[in-house]
Amino acid sequence: MKLCEFIRPTSLSEAREALRELGPKGMPLAGGTALHFMQTKTPVTAVDITRLGLSYIRQEGDFFTIGATTPLSDIQRHRAHGWAMHEIARNISTHQIRNVSTIGGNICRVFPWADLPVVLLAMNAHMVIYTGDGKEEEVAADDYFAAQPAKRFNGGNILTAVKVPVLKAHQGFGSVKAARNAAAFSLVTVCALLELDDGRIKTARVSAGSAIPFPHRLPSVETALIGREAVSAVFREAAAKSGTEVKWCAREGMSEDYTRQLAEVSLADALEKAAAYANGRTK
Amino acid sequence: MKADQNTVSFTLNGELKTFATEPDEKLLTLLRREGYRGTKYGCGQGTCGACTMILDGRAVYACLLYAKQAEGRSVRTIESAGTFEEPVEFQKELIAAGAVQCGYCIPGMVMSATALMETETVFEDEIVREYMDGNLCRCTGYEKIWIALRKVLDRREASDKAGNNSSAKGAK
Repeated sequence: MKLCEFIRPTSLSEAREALRELGPKGMPLAGGTALHFMQTKTPVTAVDITRLGLSYIRQEGDFFTIGATTPLSDIQRHRAHGWAMHEIARNISTHQIRNVSTIGGNICRVFPWADLPVVLLAMNAHMVIYTGDGKEEEVAADDYFAAQPAKRFNGGNILTAVKVPVLKAHQGFGSVKAARNAAAFSLVTVCALLELDDGRIKTARVSAGSAIPFPHRLPSVETALIGREAVSAVFREAAAKSGTEVKWCAREGMSEDYTRQLAEVSLADALEKAAAYANGRTK
Repeated sequence: MKADQNTVSFTLNGELKTFATEPDEKLLTLLRREGYRGTKYGCGQGTCGACTMILDGRAVYACLLYAKQAEGRSVRTIESAGTFEEPVEFQKELIAAGAVQCGYCIPGMVMSATALMETETVFEDEIVREYMDGNLCRCTGYEKIWIALRKVLDRREASDKAGNNSSAKGAK
């Protein structure tokens, strides 16, 4: 993407105003790593939003609030009771990219291979969007990721934070990213959030991404889990339902069937991890 | 907000400098144009690590940063590490281990290792791998680089245990 101008607003409202005025000629810049690969016909003005105090992680009630320009490496290093975001953050790209790339940049324009949307769907995260005049709106993950979120920001609105729930006792989270090597893009990413009650699955949120055109919840897998015992056989059986609502894609030399098998094995592993997490917390 | 589009000022290897630039210029291009050629151009797309430098204490790829992003920040390049006559400890170990073949990846490797040593105090293999996972070497198969780095880190850990707190000065 060719830049014709680089501006550095000093407040959120100034940034929003600039982006609103610029329209398609403006582009918010956080880590900026993706901008180097995006193609546009005409040069754009980069609006640097990294100096607006949007880089932080704090616990607020039942949520961890992560500022939109928090680099992935900060998410990876953060540790707290009920926090589970570090595992997937470690598995995104390389050390140098994680130091620059931000959570907001990962989810404002969703690329098919992005890992964080999958995590945030399973976790039922909330996105906080600045809509001008000191106002914010909060959008739940199911709604936010129902379609490409980029269009939400066409009018200059700015993602300011992501709120992920603090995991409670009996809750567990697990994620699996299958890739050719540590730095490669995901072949398939799957996540599961389970709530157990006396060894049985009370609630489940399961999601997938990367081997499908856009990150997605897997309701049929969730239905196959609820009320059942949290054991491997049940996880495998539920994982086999994943093809009901999504069509696994053939890509990078993998056949459709190979992708499906990879996804199912990864799903079963993510469910095992989530259950182990939940059990570890209840003991 | 619309500060001068054609200059950028940042601390480079400890010295405040102002450079001519343009909004579209990458930091790597600027550095190499200004004579800081130890920072290599490899893939140009944030994969190989040859252009690794340290921005505000963190290892980053100069090829994926616009020069303007460095405004007011601290940038450190390989030129801030050792010289040919006086290599830093890791550079000496790289030479001793025969870890340098074509040498193109080495400045990036040294900068990543520098970020590691200045940030962490414990150098478990997993942590070391994490800091070095963004640097590719196409000559050595990594073994000798790893041996050289491990020697330096083991010495630091031993020295810390002996009560000498000279390592992990804290980034920056």
